[in-house]
Amino acid sequence: MTLRQEKVIVIDPSKCVGCHSCEMACAMKHFGVCHPHYSRIRIQEFREVNTFVPVTCQACEDAACIKVCPMNARIRLESGAVVTDEEKCIGCRACVYACPFGAPVIHPENGKTMSCDLCMDDELGPWCVKACTMQQALKFVDARDAARAKGRDFAAMLKEQNEPPHQDDADFSFSFSVE
Amino acid sequence: MKVVIVGNGIAGNEVASYLREHGPQADDVDITILSAERFPEYDPCSLPYFVGGEVDRDAVFRKDQDYYRNSRINLVLDNKAVSIDPEAREVRTEKGDVFGYDSLVLAHGGSLFIPPIPGIDLDGVFSCKVLAEADRLAGHQGTRAVVIGSGAIGIEAAEALKLKGYQVAIIELLDWIMPTLFCEGASRFLADEMRGYGIEVYTSEKVLEIQGRGSVESVKTDRREIPCDTVVVATGVVPGRPLAETAGIACERGILVNDRMLTSAADIYACGDCVQTFDAVSGEGCMYQLKHNAIEQARVAARNILGEEARYRGAYPFARAHYFDTHAVTFGKTLKGLERTCRPDQVGVIERDTDDGYLRLLLEDGKIVGGQAIGRFADHAGLFMGFMWRGVDMDDFKKNWRKIAELESVFPWQYRKAGQVLGLSALDAPDGMEMART
Repeated sequence: MTLRQEKVIVIDPSKCVGCHSCEMACAMKHFGVCHPHYSRIRIQEFREVNTFVPVTCQACEDAACIKVCPMNARIRLESGAVVTDEEKCIGCRACVYACPFGAPVIHPENGKTMSCDLCMDDELGPWCVKACTMQQALKFVDARDAARAKGRDFAAMLKEQNEPPHQDDADFSFSFSVE
Repeated sequence: MKVVIVGNGIAGNEVASYLREHGPQADDVDITILSAERFPEYDPCSLPYFVGGEVDRDAVFRKDQDYYRNSRINLVLDNKAVSIDPEAREVRTEKGDVFGYDSLVLAHGGSLFIPPIPGIDLDGVFSCKVLAEADRLAGHQGTRAVVIGSGAIGIEAAEALKLKGYQVAIIELLDWIMPTLFCEGASRFLADEMRGYGIEVYTSEKVLEIQGRGSVESVKTDRREIPCDTVVVATGVVPGRPLAETAGIACERGILVNDRMLTSAADIYACGDCVQTFDAVSGEGCMYQLKHNAIEQARVAARNILGEEARYRGAYPFARAHYFDTHAVTFGKTLKGLERTCRPDQVGVIERDTDDGYLRLLLEDGKIVGGQAIGRFADHAGLFMGFMWRGVDMDDFKKNWRKIAELESVFPWQYRKAGQVLGLSALDAPDGMEMART
């Protein structure tokens, strides 16, 4: 299997304090507004256990969203990131529903979906990661380093997370890409 | 190696591009696609949106002619394959051409089921399954349409015509719309939404005749007569078995394949809408003629052609229903489907009905095997599909969801999130608590 993505955003929820800076940075980068509804990364809040989980597109190797889009608007970029082609998207949300993380988000005005493009047009790299410099809950690392840190093959991990298991594969892990 | 692919749809093209991209000696693979149609690959799922004018015609295409040239795929258009000689390893087309193969892939999909209704061949009767028909429908000037059949294509065609300014009525023979996709409750809600957008919905109603002299003037059902100038037939898709039967390939409802997408004939594979496979969860024989299944089946077929030991993990239903501002999703089995194969005591239902959404999860022996969600709940459908794949016991989950969360080595936020979505108490209530009532 070829590992398409060279660098990935790795999330460590144990370091997230729920400050929403990543959301603001993302909205600012892509839309020039400081409003979380325009962000492609979203923090899931679990206040009862004082835990926050930044959720963003994992650009799955065998991405369900690409397969279910009726308009073929979910496309994989050179960088490996999977994004929505706004020209083609009709806002049906099939990609949101098919995603195990519900990662694609809906643009508050046009109703089309959007997801992380890794800020590939910016030499700074992903703005959300920059915004999280203090907390280090988000890191932009080499995909192979991420895999090593987890002690397993990164591509296999993504595959395992996002695909239905084989019938004989009962022990189906339920993890998230944490360092 | 010579590979002949019958059908230029999603499955056929996936096989071709996979072979070209991944074969170890990819350049040695000689690929031919035989198509009954005249176009490069387009996506049938996109057609209603082109008809409704939401997107340009260009947007329905997944490939252009250059792709085939650059990928050295020999695309034979407008030349339907009509018979197979498995002994001689040859496919014959309607124009009399003969193509020899080392591996053959049947990916010619299905054809529209045309119900035996008088007047079905009148002018003004369309379908919305193939591009040539969608072109005709998009170019048609009408004001009042009747859509026969309320599957996904019927619903999308109805929305498309409504957007074009038609007055639209949908007629469904069974008791509720999208009967194979949704249970009654969700379906009734979706039908009411449809009526709210000005589309007439008639269920449990049988079309007796399409009336008119030369062109359509009205549709007569067992309950009423609806004047119209346009009829769209969306009564389902029949898998294309006849071609396979010329080679003596075993068929039931569709072409039978094993988990390597191999048919009963040597070196003849099949994938896409024409095959009958097995359900990824239950293992039962099934026909879920959906795009994601076609793509996955095609990849398995391609990998096996290349000598890999790839096994298909099974097909699964997943469909969204989207029209105007209504958003719904369904996956896995419906209650009706479940009741066909289970004892009543095995079946369970978890239901949530709030002002901003509806959720129904169907359980077999306590494990999720299907679900439907509308509005707010739909955005979290993926979580519950994940539960389905993992075989999470929902009784156990209800009792111990916070404990389960704590046992995991990494923070299993999906469990917490599912608890939130289902409205389980987030606070430290005693274990064994009841689910919050809505």
